[in-house]
Amino acid sequence: MLSRLLPLLLVSLVTSPLLAQSPPQSAEPEPSIQGLLDRVEQLEKRIAELEDHERKQATTTPPADSSSQTGAGIKLVEAGASPAPASHSEHMGSATEEREAQIHYPSLQIRGFGDVDFSATDQKGSVSGFDLGQFVLHLASPLSQKVSYFGEVSFTAQPNTYEVNVERTIIRYDYNDYFKMSFGKYHTPIGYWNTAFHHGAWLQTTIARPQMVKFGGTFIPVHFVGLQAEGNIPSGALGLGYNLGIGNGRNSMFSRAGDSGDVNDNRAWVANLFARPTRVYGLEVGGSYYRDKLTPNPGTNFDEWIASAYVVWNKQRPELLAEYANVHHRDLQTSETFNTTSYYVQLAYRLPWQEDKWKPYYRFEYIHRPGVEPVWDITGTASVVDLVGSLVGVRYDITNYAAFKGEYRNFRQGAGKPRVGGAFFQTAFTF
Amino acid sequence: MAAQSHDGDVAIVVHPDTPVNNLTLAEVRKVFLGERQYWNANIPVVLLIRAPVARERNVVLKTIYQMSESQFKQYWIAKIFRAESATAPKVVYSNDMANELASAIPGAIALTDVREVRPGTKVIRVDGRLPGEPGYPLR
Repeated sequence: MLSRLLPLLLVSLVTSPLLAQSPPQSAEPEPSIQGLLDRVEQLEKRIAELEDHERKQATTTPPADSSSQTGAGIKLVEAGASPAPASHSEHMGSATEEREAQIHYPSLQIRGFGDVDFSATDQKGSVSGFDLGQFVLHLASPLSQKVSYFGEVSFTAQPNTYEVNVERTIIRYDYNDYFKMSFGKYHTPIGYWNTAFHHGAWLQTTIARPQMVKFGGTFIPVHFVGLQAEGNIPSGALGLGYNLGIGNGRNSMFSRAGDSGDVNDNRAWVANLFARPTRVYGLEVGGSYYRDKLTPNPGTNFDEWIASAYVVWNKQRPELLAEYANVHHRDLQTSETFNTTSYYVQLAYRLPWQEDKWKPYYRFEYIHRPGVEPVWDITGTASVVDLVGSLVGVRYDITNYAAFKGEYRNFRQGAGKPRVGGAFFQTAFTF
Repeated sequence: MAAQSHDGDVAIVVHPDTPVNNLTLAEVRKVFLGERQYWNANIPVVLLIRAPVARERNVVLKTIYQMSESQFKQYWIAKIFRAESATAPKVVYSNDMANELASAIPGAIALTDVREVRPGTKVIRVDGRLPGEPGYPLR
């Protein structure tokens, strides 16, 4: 049997690189050593299966014609019994496959993300050059059929050291699809981008996040420490889902979450509702509401309400992301109110040639804040400025796991300030 | 199996105890996208997908996911690392393996060539149709 299959294996091995070098016909004809090794592994498995099959036929056992017979075989394997050598041999392959396919607990998966960037702008005093972006480790591990853990740690280059941050740490219990409860540190479910794209730049189309959800920014609370309920809502073709969270909200330094405790006795809460209509595959619309009490300094308190909405078409041809948010602050001493509004619209299109590797994109961003806004103006914490600008760029996926991006940005940051243009390049990858 | 033989149709097979007999194509898509992760409170969905090159995988990508191979890989990396799913689909290397595992693992769902459906699994209807019937969408 093996001798009959060897020529097939050899022909496959010889023709695989030839086929891989021929003009691309499939989505992923990458002639790599790993690809060939995978192919060899597949063929070896197939040979083993065929041999196993042939052995089964040779035993003259009639083919199973009822589910109970197959079921009995599996029970036999599960019980670890081996009534006869022939039977044991028969089920060895499937037992191994079954063991491999079963999830083992815990089952830690680690994935890394990184990026290397280059920037050059015409802003006065700026210096062009390379930087290392963020090095990020994601850890995911099912702990049982219904309990799973997820963690995310980032390393960000600073002038003298690397800053290490626990970006997310979540333990989740799934009751069913309609109710999943988790505890930990999240990316706050406000809008779309903040939960769809995390610290790995490879995940997002563009080089940088929109200003309204920028890491280290203060427009929205990017992180949230507490508990969250999430799930689907029985709604038929509407495809509704929800997130409800309660937690610490912003720290006194607004760009940071309350990892070590809240700054006041009021918990923040967030409610997010979204729809993925089954009849319009690719469309997602949603909206969220966030409420917190801010205490930037002892004795200074503000109510904060954030309303947001988004519409997303997440197919690649085209890809459309549009998001809007309004941050409302109310001074609890004077009752004076302040509204800061932001939105962005991003369009991209995966070009259908060269194996779908090219994806040009464009984004327009806008932030408008009042001239005087006591929360944003607090010394040392403010980073929200008037902003209007756009960027245009292209992403080239070198492989399934690495991409080059190049973009040109033109922005005006701060009312009355001159526009700044710049070229930015990035290679982002996951491993 | 009650389905008629029909060259080219790809059957969706599940573990016999799975409490489902008929799904719409949109519901199948929700299952394979990881948006529906439980058949009921006690039976999680276990996705089994053929390795690249297999025709059944191409049918899954083209008809259900509507994604290229690389988009599919990126989708699952993003899904897991958004903490929306604890595990990615399991890869199976043959229709025999798909049948074997679907019959052995509670909650398992796999696609296999209709001519290679084995006893011990349950074939489910898609949009009310079995493989071989006119209008069956997975082929």
